[in-house]
Amino acid sequence: MNWFKKRAWIYVLLLVFFSWWSMGKTEFEWSNFKEFSNAVTFIREQFFPASWEVIPALIDPVLVTLAIAFLGTFFALLIALPFSFAAAKNTAANPLLYYVVRFFLSILRSIPEIVFGLIFVVVLGLGPFPAVFAILLHNIGVLGKLISELVEAADPGPQEAMKSVGAGRRLGNLFSIVPQIWPNVLSHYFYRFEVAIRTSLILGFIGGGGIGQKLINDFNSFNYAAVTVEVMLIMLLVIIVDLFGAFVRKRVI
Amino acid sequence: MIELENVTVYYPKAAEPAVKNINLSLEAGEFVCVLGPSGAGKSTMIRTINALQPVSEGTVRVQGESLASMSEAQRRSWRSRTGMIFQHFHLIPRLTVQQNILTGLFGKRSSFVNFAGIFTHAEKKKAREVMAEVGLSQMADRRVESLSGGQKQRVGVARALMQEPDVFLGDEPVASLDPGTARAVFHLLKEVHHKQHLLSLVNVHDVTLAKTFATRVVGLSNGEIIYDGPPAELGEENLETIYGKAIHA
Ligand SMILES: Nc1ncnc2c1ncn2[C@@H]1O[C@H](COP(=O)(O)OP(=O)(O)OP(=O)(O)O)[C@@H](O)[C@H]1O
Ligand SMILES: [Mg+2]
Repeated sequence: MNWFKKRAWIYVLLLVFFSWWSMGKTEFEWSNFKEFSNAVTFIREQFFPASWEVIPALIDPVLVTLAIAFLGTFFALLIALPFSFAAAKNTAANPLLYYVVRFFLSILRSIPEIVFGLIFVVVLGLGPFPAVFAILLHNIGVLGKLISELVEAADPGPQEAMKSVGAGRRLGNLFSIVPQIWPNVLSHYFYRFEVAIRTSLILGFIGGGGIGQKLINDFNSFNYAAVTVEVMLIMLLVIIVDLFGAFVRKRVI
Repeated sequence: MIELENVTVYYPKAAEPAVKNINLSLEAGEFVCVLGPSGAGKSTMIRTINALQPVSEGTVRVQGESLASMSEAQRRSWRSRTGMIFQHFHLIPRLTVQQNILTGLFGKRSSFVNFAGIFTHAEKKKAREVMAEVGLSQMADRRVESLSGGQKQRVGVARALMQEPDVFLGDEPVASLDPGTARAVFHLLKEVHHKQHLLSLVNVHDVTLAKTFATRVVGLSNGEIIYDGPPAELGEENLETIYGKAIHA
């Protein structure tokens, strides 16, 4: 029995070649792994013991980060929901609108938050507000696409039933599709929420406020013992959001 | 009440029509069973009646008025007066029995009132009556996913009843049910059919069910009507022309 097609060897060769090529491009050297022990030493000597006494001063920045991530993704969800119906083949009001909305969503999605962030920090000034805005815009694109795919994959049966009772198009779509896709919408949402926490750190590096800004400031002033605490708080925040998401999904299913 | 005149339906890109040259006149009080092998065009024909399926040629008329020349709002209003029951029930998941039944009112009220979930006392009373009629009073607040097939189809019937329809359309409403449950659902259909003096048009695969319940049988084969008459006169040779010789095998 031959489990693989002969062609599989070509794919293997292509992958090997592409890996080799990428290693060249990225100056990837196996011998560099020797240096890894230096990183361990660096962390052990500079990052520990952690300076726990900075915690009180970090509470507010952590909450700011949480607020940035929540607001950016939640508003994005509210805006993406109606757009996703316009960007789904089975519910779009007309083909032109479908293509326009798809195009618009893919543009939003293709611009990274950091680019939005850099622009808004200049235009709107430093602080959390431009970070919210950057996350909001990018996530309209991401959630709009993900939800429109859920809409397209929804069982057409209930949609036909709503049509046949004489319900209006919009209301029929709302009632027949949203209940079906709701648990998956929440899954996507919480995943994006979690990603947004990490993104808001990066946005903090460019002046977007929150714990990310604290982290980069401490890092640049060699205050590594404080960075340790900041990293731990971030991990804690991500875990809490993740657990909360799991809890909500369990309640909803 | 409903007339199909030379109705032909082509699906996009199909060479052969799914139904061709159908002529059918249906009156209130009739309980019509549509028989025919898979692919004969039963679903297509039924779906032209509430304009879920537009016709390619010919006319479907409701009380003398052509569905094709109606405005979309008028067609919606017509759909709100036809209760349709589906083989796979097509209930809205995650909603309760009662909520599903109340969606039967959606065609009769404004979208805002529907969305806000505002129901009058009379409407709620009607929902309770309908639930009692199909034997689901105890399950009003159960989510529909947790019901058995027969119970789900009772919800389907109740949703259609909630529309206070003039017409009942059934697209193989009992095909996913066991024979006992199928008969029970047919009894229920027949009962409300009588009580409300409806016109019922139901696709079935089961010839015995058709013979037991129908007042009129329409036989379809290859998209054409090849039998139209009382069930009593439906003989072996008719069934042979509808289904082909295979029925004897
Ligand atoms: N959406 C569609 N697109 C293209 N062709 C279709 C479509 N729906 C049905 N058809 C074709 O039209 C013909 C009639 O189909 P229809 O579903 O009306 O038959 P049916 O009698 O209801 O069959 P069944 O008993 O299997 O439900 C078939 O040849 C089918 O392949
Ligand atoms: Mg069918």
